[in-house]
Amino acid sequence: MSNRPAPLVAARDLVKSYGRTPALRGACLEVGEGEIVAVTGASGSGKSTLLHCLAGIVRPDGGTVTYDGKRVDLLPEDRLSELRRTDFGVMFQFGQLIPELTAVDNVALPLMLAGTARGTAQERAEEWLERFGVREQKDLRPGELSGGQEQRVALARALVTGPRVVFADEPTGALDSLAGEQVMTALVGAARASGAAVLLITHDATVAAYADREVRLRDGAVVGAEVPA
Amino acid sequence: MRTDLRLAWLFIRGSNRQEWWRIALVVAGATCATGLASAAAVLASVRGQHSFSFAAGLLNQPGERSGAIVALLLLLVPVLGFLGQCARIGAVHRDRRMAVLRLAGAEPGRVRRIAALETGLACLLGSALATAGAVAVLTAVWERPTALAWAGIALVGVGVPLLGTAAGVLALHRVVASPLGWVRRTRTRSGRGPLLLFTGGLLLVDVAALGGVTGTSMNSRGAGSNAPLVVCAAVLAVGAGAVWLTGALSWLTGRLLAARTGSPAVLIAAERLRDDPWAAARIHAAVLLVTVIGTGFAGIRQALLTELENADDTHGFAADDSFYTTGLDLTAAAIAFGLVMVLVALAVGTAESVATRRRGLAAQVAAGVPRQVLARALLLETALPLAPAVLVAGLGGLVIGTVYSVLASGTVPYLSLLVPAGIYAACLLATALSLPLLHRSVRPAELRYT
Repeated sequence: MSNRPAPLVAARDLVKSYGRTPALRGACLEVGEGEIVAVTGASGSGKSTLLHCLAGIVRPDGGTVTYDGKRVDLLPEDRLSELRRTDFGVMFQFGQLIPELTAVDNVALPLMLAGTARGTAQERAEEWLERFGVREQKDLRPGELSGGQEQRVALARALVTGPRVVFADEPTGALDSLAGEQVMTALVGAARASGAAVLLITHDATVAAYADREVRLRDGAVVGAEVPA
Repeated sequence: MRTDLRLAWLFIRGSNRQEWWRIALVVAGATCATGLASAAAVLASVRGQHSFSFAAGLLNQPGERSGAIVALLLLLVPVLGFLGQCARIGAVHRDRRMAVLRLAGAEPGRVRRIAALETGLACLLGSALATAGAVAVLTAVWERPTALAWAGIALVGVGVPLLGTAAGVLALHRVVASPLGWVRRTRTRSGRGPLLLFTGGLLLVDVAALGGVTGTSMNSRGAGSNAPLVVCAAVLAVGAGAVWLTGALSWLTGRLLAARTGSPAVLIAAERLRDDPWAAARIHAAVLLVTVIGTGFAGIRQALLTELENADDTHGFAADDSFYTTGLDLTAAAIAFGLVMVLVALAVGTAESVATRRRGLAAQVAAGVPRQVLARALLLETALPLAPAVLVAGLGGLVIGTVYSVLASGTVPYLSLLVPAGIYAACLLATALSLPLLHRSVRPAELRYT
C-alpha cells in the first residue's frame, strides 16, 4: 500500500492530440497535498501537455482531471481562470510577466484581480520579492531584470495568492546552472513552507532531484515512477 | 544588393497567409498613395485656365485646382499612417526570418535591408497598378496630356516604392535581431524618432503641395499667392503638433493613471502608454488631423449651404449651385476616405499589437488573468489618450467652422461637434474589431504553438 498523501490533483487516462499528432495517450498521474513531483521525458513526450491539462490550460480529448475531488476538465473557461488565479500558481520558462509592468506590480496583479487594494497588494508583493531576494529590483520591468531575477519575480507572482498547487513548466530552462539552482531552492523552500504541491516539468536531472518523486513520460504515457535518491 | 533583392522576392513568394495580408494591405496603401500623388501631379502640371469635362468646373480655374491639389496631398497623410501600420503586420514571422538570416551569417544591417526591400517590392506592385490606372484615366479624360503630366506620373510611380523602401529601412533601423531568435528594439524614450519620421513625411507632402500649388496658382503676370504657403505651414504645424500632443498625452495619461489606479485593466493600459507613448502617436495624429478638418468642414458646409439657400443673384455666386455642392460633396468624400484609412490603420495596428504579444497574453490567461481584463486594457490603450486629444482637435475644428460661419451667416455650427464624438466612437469600434483576435490569441492552448 502506498504511503503517498491523498491525491490533490489527479489525471486519469488522459488523451490529447494536436491535429493528427498525439501528445498524450492514456497518461495517469497523481499529485498529493504538499508533494513535489517532477515529470521528465524527452522532447515531444507530452510533458507540457500533461501540465497544461492538469492546470486547466488545455482541455483533454479524453480521460479526466480532478482537483480536490472535483472535475477540472468539465469546468467552463471563466471558472478555470478563477482557479488558476486562486488555487493554482503557474510558472513557465519565460513570458509570464507583463513586460510593461514593474516587478512589484506584476506580483501584485493576481491580488488586484482578486479585489485587493493596490497599496495592500503591493505591500504583500514586496514581502514575496524580499523573500526571493529581488526586492531591490521591485521598480524594474521584466526587460531590465536578469533571467534568474525574472524567474524569481515570476515565482513570487505564482505564490503570492497562496496557491495549493504550483505548476512549473521548465522554470529553469532558460537559466544558467547557478540561477537555476537559486530559483529551484526558492521554489521548493516556499512550497515546503506553505504546504503547496508542485508539479514540475523538466528535462534536467539536477532539477528533478529537488522533487519527492519523479514520473517519466514516453510517447504520451507514464512509463515509470521512482523516488530520487 | 541584387542578392538582397532576390532574397526579398523569395521571402515574398514563400509568404504565409498572415504575410500575404501584410503584402496585400501594403499594395493597397501604395496604390492609394500613388493614385493620389499622381492625380495631384497631373493637376499641378496644368497651367492657367483649362476646361475639364468633369467635376462641375471645379478644376477649371487655377485657384480651385490649388485647393484640389492640397486636398489630394493631405489625403496622403492618413495613407502614410496606414502604410506605416501595415508594415508592422506579421512582425513575428518577419522577426523569426530575420533571426534565421542572422544565424546564416547576415549582418544586422543587411537583414534590415532585406526586410525593407520586401516592403519596397510590395510598394512597387501597388505603384505599378496605380500608375497603369492613372495612365488609362489620363488618356481617357485628356486628349493630349503634356510632357509635364507624364513626367509627374513617372516620378510618382518610381518615387513611391523608393520612399517605401527608405521608410522601411528607417522604421527598422533600431531593430536588432539576434541569431537565437530574440528581436529587440533599442529604446527611444525621447520619441524624437517617430516624431521626426512623421514630420518628415508631412514636410514632403507640404513641399509637394507648395510646389504644385505655386505652379498652378501663378497668374498671368507670374505672381503667386501667399495662401498656399500659409496653408502648408499650418498643416505642417498642426501635424507636428498633433504627433507631439498625442504622444505627450499618452505619456501623461499613463503616468497619472499608473500611479493612482487600483484597476488591473487600467494599470496594464497605463503602463503600456507610459512605456511607449509614441507607439500609436502617428496614427492618433492622423485621427486628430481628420477630426480638425472634419469638424471644421462640417461647420463650413452648414454655413455655405445656408448661404446658398438664402442667396439671390446679387451675391456673386456662380450661376449653378452644383459648382459648390459638388465641391462640398467631393470634400466630404475625401474626408470620409481619410477617416476610413485612419480607422483601418487603427484596427490593423491594434490587431498587430495583439498578434505580436500573443504568447505573453496567452501566458497571462494561463496564469489566471481574465480575458475581460486584457480586452478592457486593449480598449483603454486607445480610449484614454485619444479622448482629450480628440476633444482638443474637435474644439480646434469648431473654431475654424465658427469663424467661417459667423463671418458668412452669423451662426455657430454646434452640430459640427457631433463629428469628433462620431470619430471617437468610430476609433473605439475600430479598436474593438481586434477583440475577436485577442480572444483567439489568448487561448492558453496558444502556448503550444508560439
